Amino acid sequence: MSDLNFDSPKGVLRRGWSAAVGDYAIAGGWTLRGEALVVGDAAGGVYAFDGKSGASAWARQGAHDGGVLAMAIHPSGTAFATAGQDGRVLIWGVAEGQVKQAIDVGSGWVENVAWSPDGQWLAASCSRQVRAYGADGAEVWQSDDHPSTISAIAWSGAEELATACYGRVTFFDAPTGELRQKLEWKGSLVAMVLSPDGDIVACGSQDNSVHFWRRSTEQDSMMSGYPAKPSALAFDDTGTLLATGGGEAVTVWSFQGSGPEGTRPGVLELHVQPVTTLAFARRTMRLASGARDGAVVVWSLQRDGEGDPIGAAVVAGIVAELYWRPDGRALAALDARGGVTVWRMG
Amino acid sequence: MNTPRRVPVSILTGFLGSGKTTLLNRILSEAHGKRIAVIENEYGEVGIDQALVIDADEEIFEMSNGCICCTVRGDLIRVLGNLMKRRDKFDYVLVETTGLADPGPVAQTFFMDDEIRAEFSLDGIVTLVDAAHIEQQLGRSDESTEQIAFADVLVLNKTDLVNGEALDRLEARLRDMNRMAQVVRSERANVSVDTVLNLGAFDLDQVLERRPTFLEPEYPFEWTGVYSLDIGRYELSLADGPDPAMSLVVVSDQGTDDAALREGAEWCVRRYAEPAELFRPGEEIPVGKHVNLRLDSPGRKSFFFEVDTQVRVGLYAQHTAEEFDLQLTNVEGATIRQEVERTWVAQHEHDDEVGSIAIERDGHVDPERLNAWLGELLRERGVDIFRMKGFISLAGESHRFVFQGVHMLFDGQPDRPWGDSPRRNQLVFIGRNLDEQSMRQGFEACLI
Repeated sequence: MSDLNFDSPKGVLRRGWSAAVGDYAIAGGWTLRGEALVVGDAAGGVYAFDGKSGASAWARQGAHDGGVLAMAIHPSGTAFATAGQDGRVLIWGVAEGQVKQAIDVGSGWVENVAWSPDGQWLAASCSRQVRAYGADGAEVWQSDDHPSTISAIAWSGAEELATACYGRVTFFDAPTGELRQKLEWKGSLVAMVLSPDGDIVACGSQDNSVHFWRRSTEQDSMMSGYPAKPSALAFDDTGTLLATGGGEAVTVWSFQGSGPEGTRPGVLELHVQPVTTLAFARRTMRLASGARDGAVVVWSLQRDGEGDPIGAAVVAGIVAELYWRPDGRALAALDARGGVTVWRMG
Repeated sequence: MNTPRRVPVSILTGFLGSGKTTLLNRILSEAHGKRIAVIENEYGEVGIDQALVIDADEEIFEMSNGCICCTVRGDLIRVLGNLMKRRDKFDYVLVETTGLADPGPVAQTFFMDDEIRAEFSLDGIVTLVDAAHIEQQLGRSDESTEQIAFADVLVLNKTDLVNGEALDRLEARLRDMNRMAQVVRSERANVSVDTVLNLGAFDLDQVLERRPTFLEPEYPFEWTGVYSLDIGRYELSLADGPDPAMSLVVVSDQGTDDAALREGAEWCVRRYAEPAELFRPGEEIPVGKHVNLRLDSPGRKSFFFEVDTQVRVGLYAQHTAEEFDLQLTNVEGATIRQEVERTWVAQHEHDDEVGSIAIERDGHVDPERLNAWLGELLRERGVDIFRMKGFISLAGESHRFVFQGVHMLFDGQPDRPWGDSPRRNQLVFIGRNLDEQSMRQGFEACLI
């Protein structure tokens, strides 16, 4: 990808705007239907930018002592939650940049935070525990200790939460905290995504494999042979394609027909450094991938998982996260040097 | 994008009560101007403003393949993964393990996880030893044995609680188990910061610089004296000494340079392997044979041998000349001074299952054969091999190849050019019940 340079994106990617935050840009998201982009950094700052121009809307330094670890945008797009090393979750209003609720979750790092699809519940994990809160920030329940620190959380339905940790994926009933299902696998599950219908759970494992379960049948499969641990995972919103990192190639498993078991995945090759993050645009077969060298590629995929690059660009640091604007007409990249870069789609 | 320098990490192990927290506090208060992050698994009383102290529960992650060599520490991956994202990056990271921690998974984390490996380098493993209690601990737990076997530095602490002789014995035992480690003595963990930080411990050059003899083979004899003799009869006399008998080989036509001495030593090793013939004082001893001199009568004891040409002889003796006041005189009673003398690293009993094997050989290595040999060795014995490091002279390569490993994980790359220095292969393995002879033969077969 040596022909890429910072100022000249290729293919469908067109120059938009760029901005900077104070440190490693950890997490972010589009709010207000794409009118604003919010970002949290490793120094604990939280920032909001105008979605069209990139102008700073507001900035709050030192919101989380020790740094931001996770962010979740409320489905309404008007609020979002940040989690940090200070053991707290903060709920913010986007427009005014004010903390509406501050929740003390625990004494350890709060590494994961997620809103339920309807915005009624907020879940946050701290060390071996997950806790659920109402939309007002009041705690509803807390789980028992998991066998190890929770590595990922995700909502598998409007009222069901999933957690991943070493050796196990666990499902909880949102209103009661009751344990609904446990899927076990002896391995360190470092990342988790669920298909939109909540039936397929896919986890990246420390042992360089992807493990997944179909909950309805409790059937599980392991996809191995990755050169590195697949910590980047993404499902498209039809639940047909699962894109996985774990090396320089993007491996795409297709769940159409009887797949992906016994089928060959699509292997998307263009990156020359390990892939760090993946994001599907809504209602399209467009996938964006980012890598350790700052390269960003947009791919057009087919239902069998094969695909072609249709756009590429490069940012200054390791690509931390990629976020498609809800309308799919713009793509934001956060990077390790605190860069925030937005491209328009041509 | 430039790849930033990898942040060095030291691992601090040692049983509860060995003084880890004291040492940690000492380092943090003395390492001024350095930004140090401490990851603690044991909640001690560490409290220094400039250091970031992170408490993390030890989380051992085994893999589904069941391989213990792939086991990593999940807590370290998580904490280090977040630490490396800060702009005010750290100069140094210290990991303090619990007393009962197996150092294997901690060290393996720095080999197994790509992201950790890209940002951090394992600088060294420092093990604190409670001089007063380690002997009991070694008998009772595998963890204490493994903490010693894995160490780059052994801090022999609380030396004020043990007498000098016992301390020497303990140090010898620890060195037996781990010949690669530097041993430092202290009373209240009062060692200098340099002992623990920036060890470059995986750099074998430094180890060799500190202890140039550590790769030397062990011999069944301790001393050699070379004498230039005319035709005639000679008297070898010995005073009372520490043992009631002593083994000896008299080598005819012995050279005086180092190569000739080593050659003589190799020849004598084979003689020593043969059963010794016992001689009493006053008897005539043969040249070129393994003899055992009876020394249990009081006073000076004399043995005799003859040479029929003008020749240099080498006496390869089980003990040093000093210990028995060994003297060589001719028939006129004139004392003959040795032309050269040297001492050897003496063999002794290895009591512990855990020990070190050092291989040192000149010459070039066939990369394919080496790969096949090491691959098989690590596959079959990886569980029992705790640490290894070394230099290899690969055929056709102008640069030295340097490697290190933990269990079956292996990491190697070209190092500096050989230049004019002799192309010598040096390998050290520390492990449990290793078969020295077969490993030597295995490596031998890799030479061209």
